[in-house]
Amino acid sequence: MNAVETWIKNRIPISGEQIREFTNEPVPNHIKRWWFALGGTPAMLFGGQIFTGILLAIYYQPTQAAAYESVRRISEDINFGWYLRGMHKWGATLMIATVILHQMRVFFTGAYRAPRELNWVIGMCLLICTLITGFTGYSLVYEQLSYWGATVGANIADNVPFIGGFMKQMLLAGTVYNENTLSRFYILHAAVLPVVIILLIAVHIVFIRLHGVSEMRFEDEAKDTPRSFNFFPDHLYTELIIGLSLLIILTTLAVAVPAHLGPPADPLTTPEIIKPEWFFYVAFRWLKLFSGTAAVISMGVVVVTMFAWPWIDGAIRKRNPNSELSVYVGIAAVLAIVGLTVWEAVVAH
Amino acid sequence: MTLSIKRNIITLLAFVFLASLLMVQYIEVARKQEEAGITKHHITVPDGSKACVDCHKNVSPGIIDHWIGSEHANTGVGCVECHQANTGEADAFEHYGATIAAVVTPLDCSRCHADVYDEFEASHHAKAGNILASLDNLLAETIEGSRIPFNPHAPTPGRPDFDASMVDGMSTAFVGCKQCHGAKVGLKHKDGGIITLDELKPDAEGMPTNTTILASIMKDKDGRPLLDSTTWPNTGIGRINLDGSLGSCSACHSRHDFSPRRARQPENCGKCHLGPDHPQAEIYEESKHGVAYRDLKDEMNLDAESWILGKDYSQAPTCATCHMSANIRGGKITHDPGQRISWTNRPPVSLAMDTDKDHKVVTEKDPAARQGQIVDTWEQKRNRMKQVCSTCHTGPYVSNFYEQYDMFVRTYNEKYGKPGLAIMAALKDNKLLSKSDFDEDVEWTWYLIWHHEGRRARHGASMMAPDYTHWHGTFEVAQRWYREFIPEVRTLIEEARHEGKVAEADACSAVVEEIMNRPEHKWQENPDGFGVKAPDYPLKPVANH
Repeated sequence: MNAVETWIKNRIPISGEQIREFTNEPVPNHIKRWWFALGGTPAMLFGGQIFTGILLAIYYQPTQAAAYESVRRISEDINFGWYLRGMHKWGATLMIATVILHQMRVFFTGAYRAPRELNWVIGMCLLICTLITGFTGYSLVYEQLSYWGATVGANIADNVPFIGGFMKQMLLAGTVYNENTLSRFYILHAAVLPVVIILLIAVHIVFIRLHGVSEMRFEDEAKDTPRSFNFFPDHLYTELIIGLSLLIILTTLAVAVPAHLGPPADPLTTPEIIKPEWFFYVAFRWLKLFSGTAAVISMGVVVVTMFAWPWIDGAIRKRNPNSELSVYVGIAAVLAIVGLTVWEAVVAH
Repeated sequence: MTLSIKRNIITLLAFVFLASLLMVQYIEVARKQEEAGITKHHITVPDGSKACVDCHKNVSPGIIDHWIGSEHANTGVGCVECHQANTGEADAFEHYGATIAAVVTPLDCSRCHADVYDEFEASHHAKAGNILASLDNLLAETIEGSRIPFNPHAPTPGRPDFDASMVDGMSTAFVGCKQCHGAKVGLKHKDGGIITLDELKPDAEGMPTNTTILASIMKDKDGRPLLDSTTWPNTGIGRINLDGSLGSCSACHSRHDFSPRRARQPENCGKCHLGPDHPQAEIYEESKHGVAYRDLKDEMNLDAESWILGKDYSQAPTCATCHMSANIRGGKITHDPGQRISWTNRPPVSLAMDTDKDHKVVTEKDPAARQGQIVDTWEQKRNRMKQVCSTCHTGPYVSNFYEQYDMFVRTYNEKYGKPGLAIMAALKDNKLLSKSDFDEDVEWTWYLIWHHEGRRARHGASMMAPDYTHWHGTFEVAQRWYREFIPEVRTLIEEARHEGKVAEADACSAVVEEIMNRPEHKWQENPDGFGVKAPDYPLKPVANH
């Protein structure tokens, strides 16, 4: 051991062996199947969002007077600004999509069951934080639709019983969209929510490491298939393949379908058609089906049920261990989500 | 999947990602080159115009260059979309499989821009070609040039064709007046004459109803109707077209890029709105508005799609801002600039811009009859302009400006405009002037007072240019009034008296001396003009009103 190694060793008393042990935990064999790698995918996309987000934040100005112009400047004047904005926009879209897919995989494989209920709850929190980050991010563009989308979003919050008014007040920094609203969205989008997401991901991973990944056996597997494989390099290679594929997909999308910039926000002119981003189509259509408070309460019931599902499912399986109810509930939920999203997408109002 | 296969996939994907980054770099460089003007903007030529573009990029490359930079090109509007014509139209011809016409009229543009067409056709701009029998027309065609073709009186070395043909003195109007006001577009008749809409008698669709005349149109060897050079080329704003439509969109939206950016800049209007009789361009340049524009032009978002005052920009107004563009106070974009003008300062006496159903200024004096004719009042027009002003100025500021402007127009009208008209009418009625205009000094002098200096003064006041209001305006009006007009009128009267026209001379003298004995003209009697006390405000009402 030379002097430099000794110096480092004294100050960072971790051996190479310990690092290998820490990073090389055996990974269950079923994770070799690609769709079991969906948990790492949003995490990688989140890393990309932080990177492109920091670069965009250099030029973005969160005031009503300057926000739209700064986005236009990023899209049209700044070198590679259009590319960064495209990557960020499509990164957000893919991140939300992959979080939903990951959650669906966890649900249908029953990976939320005891003793992993708390990690499901953390996953739910991550889903909600991701959706709010998407909502606040789109609002920052300050184009006509994002402005009215935010206004409608605040009015929906207003319908929540008892605390609705307070929620709207906190979201808008007032009773109506005002000069302080954008900076509030900006702080939420670029500081508070990313930090919360990082903390939740950390706890999420700690729980995974504590419990280990729930193992699965498939019928077509050979009996002598090893039950696990090494994280390094085998699973890391898989994640690298996914990461590089994502970069290629994002670049292709940013070039082929660049981030659009609609007309600037005009508080005096309500657009004929107001649509949120696609990931809120479900909620938006639901709200149109019922009156304000009924819709908000029913949506609240759905969300609470989702949080509590591991325990509800546990209670059902206690009575009937072979119950397939969760699968049917899952299929119904997926059909409802897809149906409401497509419905909202194809109709004007 | 083995580790070695995974490694190979990773290597392959890494190369693909690097290639995608190179593609991004290529796009960025191409974009920057295009912005810097190093490369041309890439557009997709519509199928119907591919053959036109392929040929004309060699025959007339400038046209294609201009079009490539246009919004038309961006949105797939090619050559044929505008130049297309119907078989049977007077100027239509077959051109490589397409029926087209060279002259694109507002009626053609209305295929896509119907609202703009309606606004424009209602405007004074559209009627600018109707200048026949005006004093300006007489000056250009008869006095400056010649309505009578005349022989060349000495050879033009090198141009034997000039020695063999008569001089067309109407050229002064063709090349001067009508390039702004608009020509009546004509086709060459086989007999040497001209065929215009008067002969074609077009219907509402622009198709000629007199189809027998079509056989008389002279054509070139390719069958293309020949446009008469006394009427074409012409982009005058009130052009009278073969299809019956009035105007030329390219007067402001220059072909073939039709740039809104250019139309929003005052220099665009300055092609016609300048010079001794209506120096709006120079007046604007002098004004605070013009000064701010020159300073802040680069920040005015001139390429914006909507260009709404108070939203897309507020650094300075241009001609388009005040007279045509939208604003956040509710003002909608219009192609009828007269909708916001409350005085017409064009005639010898300014008139309140009450307009009738045909958008003409109401000249009726009887209050009840007048009210019956008015469709749009001067107050409505002023309020529209006030919407523009109030984007940057407070209400009282704008109102006070208009009070200043009204005060000034009244002063000119009452001290010079109306008295001048009365004196000229007296001279005419008493036959102290011949029937011809411009054959006596006093006619030239009076014309310069109202048509040049008087307009300069009023336009200067309307657009906040003090030097044009005063030194180029009322100073020159006063100088010409006191030092030329009144002395010339008095001389004319004395000459008539000597010729025995005593009654006529007395009648005219009574008119002139009554005017010159009014207090506003008796300043000569005060050796020290400042000895006269400045008025006490408020002014007293008019006695016996």
